[in-house]
Amino acid sequence: MASIHLDQIGHSYGTAVYALEKTDMHFEDGKTYALLGPSGCGKTTMLNIISGLLTPSDGRVLLGGTDVTRTRTAERNIAQVFQFPVVYQSKTVFENLAFPLHCRGWDRSRIATRVAEIADLLGLTSRLSQSARRLTADEKQLISLGRGLVRNDVAALLMDEPLTVIDPHMKFDLRRRIKQANDQTRHTVVYVTHDQNEAMTFADEVLVMSAGRVVQRGTPQQLFEAPRNLYVGNFIGSPGMNFVRAERLDGDLRLDGVPLVGADRCRGIAPDAEIVLGIRPEHIAFAQGEELGVPASIVSAQDHGSLLVVDVAVGSDRLRMKVRRDVSFPAGQARLRVSSDQVRLYVDGVLVN
Amino acid sequence: MGQTGLRFYKFSFLLPGFLVLLAIILFPLLFTIRVSLSGWDAIAPGLNWAGLTNYAHVFSDGRFWEAMLRLSAMAVGTVLVQYVLGFALALLVWRDILFRRIFRVLFLIPMMTTPVIMSVIWRTIFHESLGPANDVLGLIGLGPYPWLTSANFAMAAVMLVEIWQWTPFMFLLLLAGLLSLPREPFLAAAIDGAGPVRTFFNVTFPLLVPVSIGAVVIRLIEASKIMETVYVLTSGGPGTATETAGYYIYIKGLRDFEIGYAASLSITYLVIMIVLLTIIAKLLVRIFIGRSA
Repeated sequence: MASIHLDQIGHSYGTAVYALEKTDMHFEDGKTYALLGPSGCGKTTMLNIISGLLTPSDGRVLLGGTDVTRTRTAERNIAQVFQFPVVYQSKTVFENLAFPLHCRGWDRSRIATRVAEIADLLGLTSRLSQSARRLTADEKQLISLGRGLVRNDVAALLMDEPLTVIDPHMKFDLRRRIKQANDQTRHTVVYVTHDQNEAMTFADEVLVMSAGRVVQRGTPQQLFEAPRNLYVGNFIGSPGMNFVRAERLDGDLRLDGVPLVGADRCRGIAPDAEIVLGIRPEHIAFAQGEELGVPASIVSAQDHGSLLVVDVAVGSDRLRMKVRRDVSFPAGQARLRVSSDQVRLYVDGVLVN
Repeated sequence: MGQTGLRFYKFSFLLPGFLVLLAIILFPLLFTIRVSLSGWDAIAPGLNWAGLTNYAHVFSDGRFWEAMLRLSAMAVGTVLVQYVLGFALALLVWRDILFRRIFRVLFLIPMMTTPVIMSVIWRTIFHESLGPANDVLGLIGLGPYPWLTSANFAMAAVMLVEIWQWTPFMFLLLLAGLLSLPREPFLAAAIDGAGPVRTFFNVTFPLLVPVSIGAVVIRLIEASKIMETVYVLTSGGPGTATETAGYYIYIKGLRDFEIGYAASLSITYLVIMIVLLTIIAKLLVRIFIGRSA
């Protein structure tokens, strides 16, 4: 177990633009991190640089304070699980799980004990003697995971979208099992995913990436409540944050004439700056009774199971809000209540105060 | 159009292909079977009826069975060596190395040469008193060896030329196989801490088994037809020491003009080859891929 420090790391493939822009990054010992972002944003590049499958064009990789930039993958003592299942076809499940330990010269009895533990954790005990060739994709990925988890002395555990090929109903269960395994070992874990739910439930800290850069880094709560810019706001949450232009009148920020944010929160913002309000769909509700609300017309409603996502038009803007299924709401015109302290202000696309 | 008319109409499209098949495969095969049942020879040419006498003769023809046995040893021996060498060469130029392209082309040259011409050159090389093979070996104090005049050496010489000429074919198929392999298993092996030897036996070789089986079976089929090398290099000699089934059939049919008998030898040879190679292919799959495949 070790901390990971990426010292001014950057990487470009050939002469192309930087797949990973120069950045300085610390991963603390024993914590779980999720790299979240769309395809091609540099997540896997960062992971492969840490594991040594890729030598960065710039900067140094330090594991537990030691420079390992030029050290071979095997000597870095890192475990990595890939997106697609990789099994040794000619081996049994047991031999597959034992392989990393075997390569590192563990003795037989120690291997048997450790493999039994991991097999038990992943529910593979009954299949240990089976040939790995005949397993389903799900089961093969379980073995890949098992090979990642089986060494309990690794410097770090890297996972590159390991649950992508797993059946949805098994994902939840597996996520729990990985977390459980990791709680025992307390590895430094870097988990790459493009599934925000996975990132949010799994990690102590989430790094949102876009176009080779880390855009925001924080706890799941921080990312949800105060996205640093419009990109993170859009990316985190389902559906993403609503962004609407505010009218500035008498110092107040208004939406369609209704005051939402008091003048005190606009202090320090240039009077002629254009302010965009960021409102989570979770923080909008229908106004009750005589309550003052933002007038809106309902466009459509989408069924999301226990919740409805309602599309409403406010002036020329469109907002989405989440409503509990059992809440009755008027067809056509409605008034919206917005929790004012949950509204975030953005100037030039960046969060202010 | 009625049902029958439509059916005829559809089948008529198959006719050209069927006619070609008939002309180039079925007719020669059927004709050979018919000839094998005749006593056609230089004295009494023609398709008379001899029943199964030729086949009865085949089974007591020790020279033919010896040739078959020799052929099997030659084919299996050369193909195994070709496989090992071809694999080694493919591994050598698989990854990024200096002058990779030049090496890849160089390794293929023997396969592109004409077997008869190369056999003539090799015959010169192996010449006991004038050939460079003994000269070179003499420099390091070995030989001279009776390359083409002693039974064991002649066998070795024929096999050497075969290996030299057809290793490139193995190399080509295995290199293509290597180049088509996915990267992930190799990355995973690196992560798991496997060195080059472990990676080869646990990743590279198992992944290449299907290609390997294909290459070995194709080469076995080809190697069983070995003829030109024997003809030019040793003419089956000394004595019958390097005589293979194909060469013996050639002698019977085109030198002794026992056409009927040669035909029955050919059919016997064909049946044995089909049965043996099918069994070998199945066995290879069973051993290296397992029952499920």
